[in-house]
Amino acid sequence: MKKNLLYIILLTTAASALLLPSCTPGSCFEETNAYVKATLLLESTGKVAAPDSISLYGIGMDASTIYKKSRNVSQALIPLDASSEGCGFVIKINGVNDTISFTYSTYLHMLSKECGYTFYHTIDTPVYSTNIIDSVIVNKTTITSLSEENIRIYY
Amino acid sequence: MPARGQEKEIPVDSVIVPLKIRAALEIAGPVLYFTNKNILNLEAYVTADLDEKKSLYFGAGYSDYNYSQYNYSFLAKGSFLKAGVDFNLLRPEIAEGKYWAGLGIHYGLSRFTSETPVLNHDNYWGSVSSSLPQEKNWAHFLEVAGGFKAEVFTNFSIGWLISIRKLIYTGASKDLRPIFYPGYGEGGNTLTYGLSYFISYNIPFRKIKVAIKPEPVEEKELDEDGENQETQRRQIGRQGIGN
Repeated sequence: MKKNLLYIILLTTAASALLLPSCTPGSCFEETNAYVKATLLLESTGKVAAPDSISLYGIGMDASTIYKKSRNVSQALIPLDASSEGCGFVIKINGVNDTISFTYSTYLHMLSKECGYTFYHTIDTPVYSTNIIDSVIVNKTTITSLSEENIRIYY
Repeated sequence: MPARGQEKEIPVDSVIVPLKIRAALEIAGPVLYFTNKNILNLEAYVTADLDEKKSLYFGAGYSDYNYSQYNYSFLAKGSFLKAGVDFNLLRPEIAEGKYWAGLGIHYGLSRFTSETPVLNHDNYWGSVSSSLPQEKNWAHFLEVAGGFKAEVFTNFSIGWLISIRKLIYTGASKDLRPIFYPGYGEGGNTLTYGLSYFISYNIPFRKIKVAIKPEPVEEKELDEDGENQETQRRQIGRQGIGN
């Protein structure tokens, strides 16, 4: 029985070593921004097609562009203004300007301990001009940090 | 002696096992608080033996949690209760009411407040600051705990438990789930794990006699008269040697 007792005490003592606290801070590897994920499609074929060039910036933010004559962009990531209930963008596809405006409600979402909070949105139907854009279809109104298509822009 | 043809009576051994009430304090929480002031866990439990295998378990505790990083800070504090059953997997003749190696299944209830005093978020449009006011919530969880306890002095035990917990209900919305629940741990995980280190004072309240299974022995062949053939063979052998 003494042998058993020693065995149990040994296990007990060994386990106490595991009590040493871990001091390694966690890192955030998730997407922390909730973008409107806009897939670009050719109206003539109905297929996903990256325009020859695309530029995008927020109205009133002319000095800061999201895309500047970018190529091979078949899905544009459009950030919404969490401090407002609406925001608009100038979108230039193949050298032709259009505008697209969103109205939405905003709410907080806890991503994780490591990443903290982000803002999610629920969008209404966007308003847009039709110089090169043919139509905009909303697929999913909830704008999250997940990789899911929200709108389709036919041009 | 049993008559011929009747089943032979198997002798049954027994041990006296003291049933005990154990009052225990978790000591790792206060010790770790000296190295990390951001988390304080205080926990105690009482178990009452139902028999040599099963005990009723009641636990209670308090947690105060404080977390801060570059883009937010978070506070949570509150108390928790746990209740369940512990099972000692040691044989009674080994356990002797002094040793415990087994599993406990507990249901936990946490009542706490949480708050996010400040949070910041940056994107293309600039930086947005916000906060979440203090909110009271309930959380329910299940816990399975396994480990060892040993009575090192008369009526005085030490031991440790590794716990796995599963959150089964939280009053908070899915978007604003707290990152920490008192009694459960960090809320972002599907399961949480914990290691607790206990000292306990044990009060014996009754003794029971528990039958123990005899060690299995090889069955010896018996002839029609119930005599052991092996014994007969040995005797014949001896006679042969004697001749």
